[in-house]
Amino acid sequence: MKVSIRTGCALLTLALGATTAVAHHSTAMFDMQHTVNIKGTVTQFDWTNPHTFIYMEVPNAQGVQEKWGIEGMSPNYLNRNGWTRHTLKPGDKIEMTIHALKDGRKGGFCASVTFPDGKVMYNLPHRG
Amino acid sequence: MRVAMGILLLSLAAAGTAAAAADAPHAAAARSSPQGDTWASIAKLPDWSGVWDFDYSAAAPGGGLVRPAPPHLTPEYAAKYAAYKERQKHGEEQQTSTANCVPPGMPQIMAQPYPVEFLFTPGKVTVAIEAYSQMRRIFTDGRKHPEDPDPTFQGNSIGHWEGDTLVVDTVGFIPTSTIAPGVGHSDQMRITERIRKISDDVMEIRQTIVDPKVLTEPYVSVKHYKRHKDWDIEEYICSQNNHDSADPEGRAGFKIQE
Repeated sequence: MKVSIRTGCALLTLALGATTAVAHHSTAMFDMQHTVNIKGTVTQFDWTNPHTFIYMEVPNAQGVQEKWGIEGMSPNYLNRNGWTRHTLKPGDKIEMTIHALKDGRKGGFCASVTFPDGKVMYNLPHRG
Repeated sequence: MRVAMGILLLSLAAAGTAAAAADAPHAAAARSSPQGDTWASIAKLPDWSGVWDFDYSAAAPGGGLVRPAPPHLTPEYAAKYAAYKERQKHGEEQQTSTANCVPPGMPQIMAQPYPVEFLFTPGKVTVAIEAYSQMRRIFTDGRKHPEDPDPTFQGNSIGHWEGDTLVVDTVGFIPTSTIAPGVGHSDQMRITERIRKISDDVMEIRQTIVDPKVLTEPYVSVKHYKRHKDWDIEEYICSQNNHDSADPEGRAGFKIQE
Protein backbone atom coordinates (compact mmCIF):
# COMPACT_ATOMS: atom_id res chain seq x y z
CA MET A 1 0.00 0.00 0.00
CA LYS A 2 1.59 3.23 -1.13
CA VAL A 3 -0.83 5.65 0.45
CA SER A 4 -1.12 6.09 4.21
CA ILE A 5 -3.07 8.54 6.31
CA ARG A 6 -1.81 10.21 9.46
CA THR A 7 -3.31 12.69 11.87
CA GLY A 8 -1.84 14.45 14.84
CA CYS A 9 -0.94 17.66 16.61
CA ALA A 10 2.00 18.33 14.29
CA LEU A 11 -0.40 18.49 11.39
CA LEU A 12 -2.51 21.13 13.09
CA THR A 13 0.60 23.26 13.21
CA LEU A 14 1.04 22.78 9.49
CA ALA A 15 -2.60 23.61 8.86
CA LEU A 16 -2.39 26.83 10.81
CA GLY A 17 0.77 27.74 8.99
CA ALA A 18 -0.92 27.10 5.70
CA THR A 19 -3.86 29.35 6.39
CA THR A 20 -1.57 32.26 7.05
CA ALA A 21 1.19 31.63 4.54
CA VAL A 22 -0.73 30.76 1.39
CA ALA A 23 -1.95 34.21 0.48
CA HIS A 24 -2.65 33.78 -3.19
CA HIS A 25 -5.63 31.54 -2.47
CA SER A 26 -7.42 29.90 0.43
CA THR A 27 -6.83 26.24 1.22
CA ALA A 28 -10.55 25.44 0.92
CA MET A 29 -10.04 22.71 -1.68
CA PHE A 30 -7.44 20.80 0.37
CA ASP A 31 -7.98 18.65 3.45
CA MET A 32 -5.82 20.67 5.83
CA GLN A 33 -6.77 18.53 8.85
CA HIS A 34 -5.11 15.39 7.51
CA THR A 35 -2.13 14.37 5.45
CA VAL A 36 -1.61 11.55 3.01
CA ASN A 37 1.76 10.08 2.06
CA ILE A 38 2.39 9.26 -1.58
CA LYS A 39 5.50 7.47 -2.82
CA GLY A 40 6.65 7.57 -6.40
CA THR A 41 8.81 9.18 -9.08
CA VAL A 42 9.03 12.86 -9.95
CA THR A 43 8.24 13.51 -13.61
CA GLN A 44 8.33 17.34 -13.59
CA PHE A 45 9.13 20.16 -11.15
CA ASP A 46 7.85 23.64 -12.09
CA TRP A 47 9.86 26.34 -10.25
CA THR A 48 7.25 29.01 -10.98
CA ASN A 49 4.91 31.54 -9.42
CA PRO A 50 2.42 31.76 -7.89
CA HIS A 51 3.27 28.21 -6.81
CA THR A 52 5.78 25.50 -7.50
CA PHE A 53 4.14 22.43 -9.01
CA ILE A 54 5.32 18.83 -8.78
CA TYR A 55 4.14 16.06 -11.09
CA MET A 56 4.64 12.51 -9.87
CA GLU A 57 3.92 8.99 -11.03
CA VAL A 58 2.60 7.00 -8.10
CA PRO A 59 1.76 3.29 -8.28
CA ASN A 60 -1.71 2.47 -6.93
CA ALA A 61 -2.60 -0.64 -4.92
CA GLN A 62 -2.73 -2.67 -8.15
CA GLY A 63 0.71 -1.41 -9.19
CA VAL A 64 -0.70 0.79 -11.98
CA GLN A 65 1.12 4.13 -12.33
CA GLU A 66 -1.12 7.14 -11.67
CA LYS A 67 -0.19 10.75 -12.35
CA TRP A 68 -0.47 13.16 -9.43
CA GLY A 69 -0.17 16.96 -9.48
CA ILE A 70 0.94 18.64 -6.26
CA GLU A 71 1.04 22.35 -5.58
CA GLY A 72 3.80 23.80 -3.40
CA MET A 73 4.83 27.12 -1.94
CA SER A 74 6.22 29.77 -4.29
CA PRO A 75 9.88 29.81 -5.36
CA ASN A 76 10.15 33.18 -3.56
CA TYR A 77 9.17 31.53 -0.28
CA LEU A 78 11.04 28.26 -0.82
CA ASN A 79 14.37 29.74 -1.86
CA ARG A 80 14.40 31.62 1.45
CA ASN A 81 13.94 28.25 3.17
CA GLY A 82 16.64 26.15 1.57
CA TRP A 83 15.01 24.93 -1.62
CA THR A 84 16.34 25.58 -5.13
CA ARG A 85 14.97 24.79 -8.58
CA HIS A 86 17.27 21.74 -8.49
CA THR A 87 15.84 20.31 -5.25
CA LEU A 88 13.64 17.97 -7.30
CA LYS A 89 14.25 16.62 -10.78
CA PRO A 90 12.58 14.08 -13.05
CA GLY A 91 13.47 10.54 -11.99
CA ASP A 92 13.83 11.35 -8.27
CA LYS A 93 12.25 8.69 -6.06
CA ILE A 94 10.55 10.47 -3.18
CA GLU A 95 7.86 10.12 -0.55
CA MET A 96 5.70 13.18 -0.22
CA THR A 97 3.38 14.22 2.60
CA ILE A 98 0.46 16.13 1.15
CA HIS A 99 -2.87 17.68 2.03
CA ALA A 100 -5.01 15.92 -0.56
CA LEU A 101 -7.77 17.48 -2.65
CA LYS A 102 -11.15 17.05 -0.96
CA ASP A 103 -12.79 16.12 -4.27
CA GLY A 104 -10.82 12.89 -4.56
CA ARG A 105 -8.80 13.79 -7.65
CA LYS A 106 -5.10 12.95 -7.56
CA GLY A 107 -3.72 16.24 -6.37
CA GLY A 108 -2.99 18.24 -3.26
CA PHE A 109 -0.69 20.63 -1.48
CA CYS A 110 2.85 19.58 -0.53
CA ALA A 111 3.73 19.63 3.19
CA SER A 112 7.13 17.91 2.97
CA VAL A 113 9.31 15.67 0.83
CA THR A 114 11.37 12.74 2.14
CA PHE A 115 14.32 11.55 0.05
CA PRO A 116 15.62 7.94 -0.04
CA ASP A 117 18.47 8.85 2.35
CA GLY A 118 15.92 10.01 4.94
CA LYS A 119 16.47 13.72 4.41
CA VAL A 120 13.27 15.77 4.79
CA MET A 121 12.64 19.07 3.02
CA TYR A 122 9.69 21.04 4.41
CA ASN A 123 7.46 22.96 2.05
CA LEU A 124 4.85 24.38 4.39
CA PRO A 125 6.09 26.33 7.43
CA HIS A 126 7.46 23.89 9.96
CA ARG A 127 8.35 24.30 13.62
CA GLY A 128 11.01 22.28 15.36
CA MET B 1 9.93 98.61 9.01
CA ARG B 2 12.01 95.55 9.75
CA VAL B 3 9.94 95.00 12.94
CA ALA B 4 6.68 95.43 11.03
CA MET B 5 7.78 92.86 8.44
CA GLY B 6 8.74 90.50 11.23
CA ILE B 7 5.31 90.80 12.85
CA LEU B 8 3.63 90.30 9.50
CA LEU B 9 5.64 87.17 8.86
CA LEU B 10 4.91 85.88 12.35
CA SER B 11 1.19 86.50 11.79
CA LEU B 12 1.28 84.66 8.50
CA ALA B 13 3.16 81.81 10.10
CA ALA B 14 0.64 81.66 12.97
CA ALA B 15 -2.30 81.68 10.57
CA GLY B 16 -0.65 78.95 8.55
CA THR B 17 -0.06 76.88 11.67
CA ALA B 18 -3.69 77.20 12.75
CA ALA B 19 -4.96 76.17 9.33
CA ALA B 20 -2.58 73.22 9.09
CA ALA B 21 -3.33 72.13 12.65
CA ALA B 22 -7.01 71.86 11.77
CA ASP B 23 -6.45 69.19 9.12
CA ALA B 24 -3.23 67.60 10.42
CA PRO B 25 -2.66 67.52 14.18
CA HIS B 26 1.03 66.81 13.80
CA ALA B 27 1.69 69.40 11.13
CA ALA B 28 4.07 71.35 13.36
CA ALA B 29 6.20 68.24 13.85
CA ALA B 30 6.03 67.63 10.12
CA ARG B 31 7.31 71.10 9.26
CA SER B 32 10.37 70.68 11.45
CA SER B 33 11.16 67.21 10.06
CA PRO B 34 13.18 66.51 6.93
CA GLN B 35 10.65 65.73 4.19
CA GLY B 36 12.92 63.97 1.72
CA ASP B 37 12.24 66.60 -0.92
CA THR B 38 15.91 66.76 -1.96
CA TRP B 39 18.73 64.20 -1.97
CA ALA B 40 20.33 66.09 0.94
CA SER B 41 17.07 65.85 2.88
CA ILE B 42 16.75 62.13 2.08
CA ALA B 43 20.10 61.58 3.81
CA LYS B 44 18.45 62.77 7.06
CA LEU B 45 15.58 60.24 6.84
CA PRO B 46 15.71 57.04 8.91
CA ASP B 47 17.52 54.00 7.49
CA TRP B 48 14.80 51.77 6.06
CA SER B 49 17.15 49.84 3.74
CA GLY B 50 16.77 46.13 3.20
CA VAL B 51 13.43 44.42 2.73
CA TRP B 52 10.70 43.97 5.34
CA ASP B 53 8.72 40.75 5.74
CA PHE B 54 5.31 40.68 7.41
CA ASP B 55 5.79 39.04 10.83
CA TYR B 56 3.36 36.11 11.11
CA SER B 57 4.76 34.86 14.42
CA ALA B 58 2.20 34.32 17.15
CA ALA B 59 3.67 37.06 19.32
CA ALA B 60 3.43 39.76 16.66
CA PRO B 61 0.34 41.98 16.52
CA GLY B 62 -1.79 40.98 13.56
CA GLY B 63 0.41 37.97 12.88
CA GLY B 64 0.20 34.25 13.55
CA LEU B 65 -2.54 33.39 15.97
CA VAL B 66 -3.16 36.97 17.10
CA ARG B 67 -6.04 38.08 14.92
CA PRO B 68 -7.13 41.71 14.98
CA ALA B 69 -10.64 42.29 16.36
CA PRO B 70 -13.25 42.31 13.58
CA PRO B 71 -14.44 45.71 12.36
CA HIS B 72 -17.62 47.22 13.82
CA LEU B 73 -20.09 47.46 10.95
CA THR B 74 -23.08 49.64 10.13
CA PRO B 75 -26.39 47.73 9.90
CA GLU B 76 -26.21 47.76 6.08
CA TYR B 77 -22.74 46.20 6.00
CA ALA B 78 -23.43 43.86 8.94
CA ALA B 79 -26.29 42.43 6.84
CA LYS B 80 -23.95 42.09 3.85
CA TYR B 81 -21.41 40.30 6.04
CA ALA B 82 -24.07 37.91 7.38
CA ALA B 83 -25.08 37.09 3.80
CA TYR B 84 -21.41 36.47 2.93
CA LYS B 85 -21.06 34.03 5.86
CA GLU B 86 -24.24 32.27 4.74
CA ARG B 87 -22.91 31.88 1.18
CA GLN B 88 -19.73 30.36 2.63
CA LYS B 89 -21.83 27.53 4.09
CA HIS B 90 -22.86 26.65 0.55
CA GLY B 91 -19.36 26.46 -0.89
CA GLU B 92 -19.31 30.01 -2.19
CA GLU B 93 -16.91 32.79 -1.11
CA GLN B 94 -14.15 30.23 -0.54
CA GLN B 95 -11.78 32.15 -2.79
CA THR B 96 -11.33 35.73 -3.87
CA SER B 97 -10.18 36.96 -7.25
CA THR B 98 -6.57 36.80 -6.00
CA ALA B 99 -6.83 33.08 -6.87
CA ASN B 100 -7.28 34.34 -10.46
CA CYS B 101 -4.17 36.50 -9.99
CA VAL B 102 -6.02 39.81 -9.57
CA PRO B 103 -4.04 41.75 -6.93
CA PRO B 104 -6.03 42.53 -3.76
CA GLY B 105 -5.32 46.29 -3.69
CA MET B 106 -5.22 48.33 -0.50
CA PRO B 107 -5.36 47.55 2.35
CA GLN B 108 -4.84 43.78 1.92
CA ILE B 109 -1.76 44.19 -0.28
CA MET B 110 0.14 45.37 2.82
CA ALA B 111 -0.45 42.09 4.69
CA GLN B 112 0.91 39.50 2.27
CA PRO B 113 3.37 36.73 3.19
CA TYR B 114 5.99 38.38 1.00
CA PRO B 115 8.36 41.25 1.75
CA VAL B 116 8.14 44.93 0.84
CA GLU B 117 10.89 47.49 0.23
CA PHE B 118 10.80 51.28 0.76
CA LEU B 119 12.59 53.38 -1.85
CA PHE B 120 13.27 57.07 -1.23
CA THR B 121 13.63 59.55 -4.10
CA PRO B 122 13.06 63.32 -3.81
CA GLY B 123 9.40 63.99 -3.06
CA LYS B 124 8.32 60.36 -3.14
CA VAL B 125 8.43 57.11 -1.19
CA THR B 126 7.87 54.09 -3.41
CA VAL B 127 6.84 50.80 -1.84
CA ALA B 128 7.94 47.81 -3.90
CA ILE B 129 5.70 44.88 -2.97
CA GLU B 130 6.83 41.39 -3.93
CA ALA B 131 3.33 39.87 -3.88
CA TYR B 132 1.82 40.23 -7.37
CA SER B 133 4.80 42.51 -8.25
CA GLN B 134 2.92 45.58 -7.02
CA MET B 135 4.07 49.16 -6.44
CA ARG B 136 2.70 51.95 -4.24
CA ARG B 137 3.67 55.57 -4.81
CA ILE B 138 3.46 57.86 -1.77
CA PHE B 139 3.93 61.50 -2.74
CA THR B 140 5.77 63.54 -0.09
CA ASP B 141 6.25 66.67 -2.20
CA GLY B 142 3.42 68.60 -0.57
CA ARG B 143 0.80 67.98 -3.22
CA LYS B 144 -2.84 67.34 -2.34
CA HIS B 145 -5.02 64.41 -3.43
CA PRO B 146 -6.77 65.00 -6.75
CA GLU B 147 -10.28 66.37 -6.19
CA ASP B 148 -11.87 63.34 -7.84
CA PRO B 149 -9.24 60.59 -8.03
CA ASP B 150 -9.77 57.64 -10.34
CA PRO B 151 -10.34 54.52 -8.24
CA THR B 152 -7.19 52.37 -8.27
CA PHE B 153 -5.94 49.20 -6.58
CA GLN B 154 -3.44 51.08 -4.37
CA GLY B 155 -5.42 54.32 -4.10
CA ASN B 156 -3.90 57.81 -4.14
CA SER B 157 -1.32 58.23 -1.36
CA ILE B 158 -0.02 61.48 0.12
CA GLY B 159 2.63 61.29 2.83
CA HIS B 160 4.66 63.47 5.15
CA TRP B 161 7.34 62.79 7.74
CA GLU B 162 6.80 63.47 11.44
CA GLY B 163 10.29 62.87 12.74
CA ASP B 164 11.08 59.22 11.97
CA THR B 165 7.45 58.35 11.22
CA LEU B 166 6.04 58.39 7.70
CA VAL B 167 2.35 59.34 7.83
CA VAL B 168 0.39 58.28 4.76
CA ASP B 169 -3.15 59.28 3.81
CA THR B 170 -4.76 57.21 1.05
CA VAL B 171 -8.07 57.65 -0.80
CA GLY B 172 -9.62 56.50 -4.10
CA PHE B 173 -9.90 52.70 -4.14
CA ILE B 174 -11.34 50.19 -6.60
CA PRO B 175 -14.83 49.07 -5.44
CA THR B 176 -13.79 45.41 -5.16
CA SER B 177 -11.08 45.73 -2.50
CA THR B 178 -11.96 44.66 1.03
CA ILE B 179 -11.33 45.96 4.54
CA ALA B 180 -11.45 42.38 5.88
CA PRO B 181 -12.76 39.11 4.41
CA GLY B 182 -16.42 39.69 3.51
CA VAL B 183 -16.26 43.40 4.38
CA GLY B 184 -16.26 45.71 1.39
CA HIS B 185 -15.95 49.48 1.42
CA SER B 186 -17.64 52.57 0.02
CA ASP B 187 -16.27 55.50 -1.99
CA GLN B 188 -15.66 57.19 1.36
CA MET B 189 -12.98 54.81 2.63
CA ARG B 190 -9.85 56.57 3.83
CA ILE B 191 -6.73 54.81 5.14
CA THR B 192 -4.12 56.43 7.36
CA GLU B 193 -0.85 54.63 8.01
CA ARG B 194 1.80 55.57 10.54
CA ILE B 195 4.98 53.75 9.54
CA ARG B 196 8.03 53.72 11.81
CA LYS B 197 10.79 51.49 13.10
CA ILE B 198 10.23 50.41 16.71
CA SER B 199 13.69 48.80 16.80
CA ASP B 200 16.50 48.52 14.29
CA ASP B 201 14.96 45.47 12.64
CA VAL B 202 11.22 45.83 13.32
CA MET B 203 8.91 48.13 11.37
CA GLU B 204 5.48 48.92 12.75
CA ILE B 205 2.62 49.95 10.50
CA ARG B 206 -0.36 51.32 12.40
CA GLN B 207 -3.26 51.47 10.01
CA THR B 208 -6.54 53.28 10.64
CA ILE B 209 -9.43 52.81 8.24
CA VAL B 210 -12.46 55.08 8.31
CA ASP B 211 -15.54 54.62 6.14
CA PRO B 212 -18.75 56.20 7.49
CA LYS B 213 -20.97 54.04 5.27
CA VAL B 214 -19.34 50.77 6.43
CA LEU B 215 -17.70 51.25 9.83
CA THR B 216 -19.28 52.61 13.01
CA GLU B 217 -15.83 53.40 14.38
CA PRO B 218 -12.30 53.60 12.93
CA TYR B 219 -10.81 50.17 12.26
CA VAL B 220 -7.27 50.16 13.68
CA SER B 221 -4.75 47.43 13.08
CA VAL B 222 -1.06 47.19 13.94
CA LYS B 223 1.34 45.00 12.01
CA HIS B 224 5.03 44.27 12.40
CA TYR B 225 7.54 43.63 9.63
CA LYS B 226 10.99 42.11 10.15
CA ARG B 227 14.02 43.47 8.33
CA HIS B 228 16.09 41.16 6.14
CA LYS B 229 19.16 43.03 4.95
CA ASP B 230 20.35 40.12 2.82
CA TRP B 231 17.09 39.59 0.90
CA ASP B 232 15.98 41.20 -2.34
CA ILE B 233 12.50 41.71 -3.71
CA GLU B 234 12.01 38.92 -6.23
CA GLU B 235 9.82 38.52 -9.28
CA TYR B 236 6.25 37.32 -8.72
CA ILE B 237 4.28 36.96 -11.94
CA CYS B 238 1.11 35.31 -10.72
CA SER B 239 -0.16 34.33 -14.17
CA GLN B 240 3.07 32.43 -14.94
CA ASN B 241 1.76 29.01 -13.86
CA ASN B 242 -1.47 29.38 -11.91
CA HIS B 243 -3.41 26.19 -11.18
CA ASP B 244 -5.94 27.85 -8.86
CA SER B 245 -9.13 29.71 -9.62
CA ALA B 246 -12.26 31.30 -8.20
CA ASP B 247 -15.55 31.30 -10.10
CA PRO B 248 -17.81 34.40 -9.92
CA GLU B 249 -19.42 33.06 -6.73
CA GLY B 250 -16.04 32.36 -5.14
CA ARG B 251 -16.04 28.57 -5.49
CA ALA B 252 -12.50 27.21 -5.47
CA GLY B 253 -11.04 25.53 -8.53
CA PHE B 254 -7.81 23.55 -8.91
CA LYS B 255 -6.29 22.38 -12.20
CA ILE B 256 -4.06 19.31 -11.81
CA GLN B 257 -2.69 18.95 -15.34
CA GLU B 258 -0.63 21.47 -17.28
